[in-house]
Amino acid sequence: MADKYYITQHCSIEGSRISFNGAEFFIAPDTAFADFAKQAYRHAGIDYPKFFKMDNLSKLSFLAADLLLKDTVPDGGNNTALLFANAASSLDTDVKYNDSIIDKENYFPSPAVFVYTLPNICMGEISIKHKLYTENSFFVFEAFNPEFFANYAAILLDTNKAETVLCGWVEFFKDEYKAFVYEVAKEGSLEHTAKNIQTLYLS
Amino acid sequence: MSRGVAITGMGIISSIGTTVEENFNALIHGKPGITAIENIATVHKNDIKVGEIKRSNEELAHELGLPVDNNFSRTALLGAIAAKQAVKNAGILDINEYATGLISATSVGGMDMTEKFFYDYLETDENHRYISSHDAGDTTHKIAGELGLKGMVTTISTACSSAANAIMLGARLIRAGKLDRVIVGGTDALSKFTINGFKTLMILSDTYNTPFDNNRKGLNLGEAAAFLVLESDEVVKKQNKKVLAYLSGYGNANDAYHQTASSENGDGAFLAMEKAFKISGLQPEDVDYINAHGTATPNNDLSEGRALIRAFGVNVPDFSSTKPFTGHTLAAAAAIEAVYSVLALQNGIVYPNLNFTTPMEEFDIVPQTVLKEKEINHVLSNSFGFGGNCSTLLFSKS
Repeated sequence: MADKYYITQHCSIEGSRISFNGAEFFIAPDTAFADFAKQAYRHAGIDYPKFFKMDNLSKLSFLAADLLLKDTVPDGGNNTALLFANAASSLDTDVKYNDSIIDKENYFPSPAVFVYTLPNICMGEISIKHKLYTENSFFVFEAFNPEFFANYAAILLDTNKAETVLCGWVEFFKDEYKAFVYEVAKEGSLEHTAKNIQTLYLS
Repeated sequence: MSRGVAITGMGIISSIGTTVEENFNALIHGKPGITAIENIATVHKNDIKVGEIKRSNEELAHELGLPVDNNFSRTALLGAIAAKQAVKNAGILDINEYATGLISATSVGGMDMTEKFFYDYLETDENHRYISSHDAGDTTHKIAGELGLKGMVTTISTACSSAANAIMLGARLIRAGKLDRVIVGGTDALSKFTINGFKTLMILSDTYNTPFDNNRKGLNLGEAAAFLVLESDEVVKKQNKKVLAYLSGYGNANDAYHQTASSENGDGAFLAMEKAFKISGLQPEDVDYINAHGTATPNNDLSEGRALIRAFGVNVPDFSSTKPFTGHTLAAAAAIEAVYSVLALQNGIVYPNLNFTTPMEEFDIVPQTVLKEKEINHVLSNSFGFGGNCSTLLFSKS
């Protein structure tokens, strides 16, 4: 790899708690995700009613990304690529959708739920809010894979496909969730290495 | 970029013909393939019209010489027929002679069989062989098996721009020197899954689709498969191959607007065209014909029309949508329209945009409505998918 890249900001959401660059940003102990997400949305001062129709994975990803992108201008000129991954894909919503069609007597397939039965929709929601006409890819791995993020983000930056990259591990299934989203840029102090990514992921 | 990546073979099966020649004849004689649905028992049969291939799965399997207990979905059957034609047309005798790949696009995959046998699977194991044919990748591997291809095989599913992205990926692999030769395209069969899905979105027309018409009512679904053979300059030179046309540019962009709708001013479409021009080194004024996405939904045609005006200014070249002939064949659309684009270059033909009567009130551009013969050196073809996945391909004369 020709150049060194840096992690400039990072955000984790897990167990009703949001941390932003290592500091606690918001906490609502013992709150179920639906309520937690609503409270976090208000706390962050977001005004975007579409948020409330999103599925859990999109809400989780959106909240984390919104913190990292809050100082950017949504004018279509922001060349931030999105590189997301998880292990459960969109299974949380897939199961809900399946529940709505499993009973022949009570069969109600909702298009509003159906559109979320793909994991990459969460990146679409982020792109729409922040007007990112940029590269995006969603990968499904067995487990968190810091080498992959280090390598793939570097390729995006090496080849000038993007100015910055928002990397995200966003996992949601049943009551378990974790988001770890961070920004990679060409300038900074914490080098974008698999080891540093892993350390932040676990912190 | 040089002239681009050489196209040396084409194959196609659609509702207007089972060969390249039949498709071309239908296009130039204005014979559409939109009818009532026959192969699928659907409650919507009286409300919709489709571009259906009037051959049963048994007939298609027989043509391929498959055993009666095969587990090919209709998507795989159509794909195998078109891919075999393309390989034959390219004069390839030994498919593994060079580093050869297969990139196929599909959105339906094996859903046609899954929806047919889903409830039966629990009752009897009679059709269990189709369970493993469900996923989209199986379709591509089945086609690779029919071709005897041992090289790279991959599947692209980005809704209605899928085949454009398959063609684009193939071209990039050739230009990067990763492959010498690649068979690229897409296949989609009609299924209840797509009929009901589009019906729910309320974008199916109850009559013949009318792209770019002010009173358009939506799309007709279709089924088809088409493949191109792309080869590197070295392989072309070494074998003294006839080049049908060149893929001179390609672009893909994110509309960043909505899951199932295009943005008001066609942002993604405009960006895709802009990227394709940049890669090809061509200018908008070089384009002689645009094969539009033109699905005849109120949303697409307005968004695409505005994007065309943004990309081309007041002098939008001759454009038409061929979807009144074939219906919207989803993941196969960009592949069949790639074949039509090459035929337009070879024969100097602008296809008529059938069923058009009333110009749209939002802008002044109108499609070419009758067959037009003229010198055509460059064709631009658009394909836009749900999720805001917008792709443009540029084809140039060999």
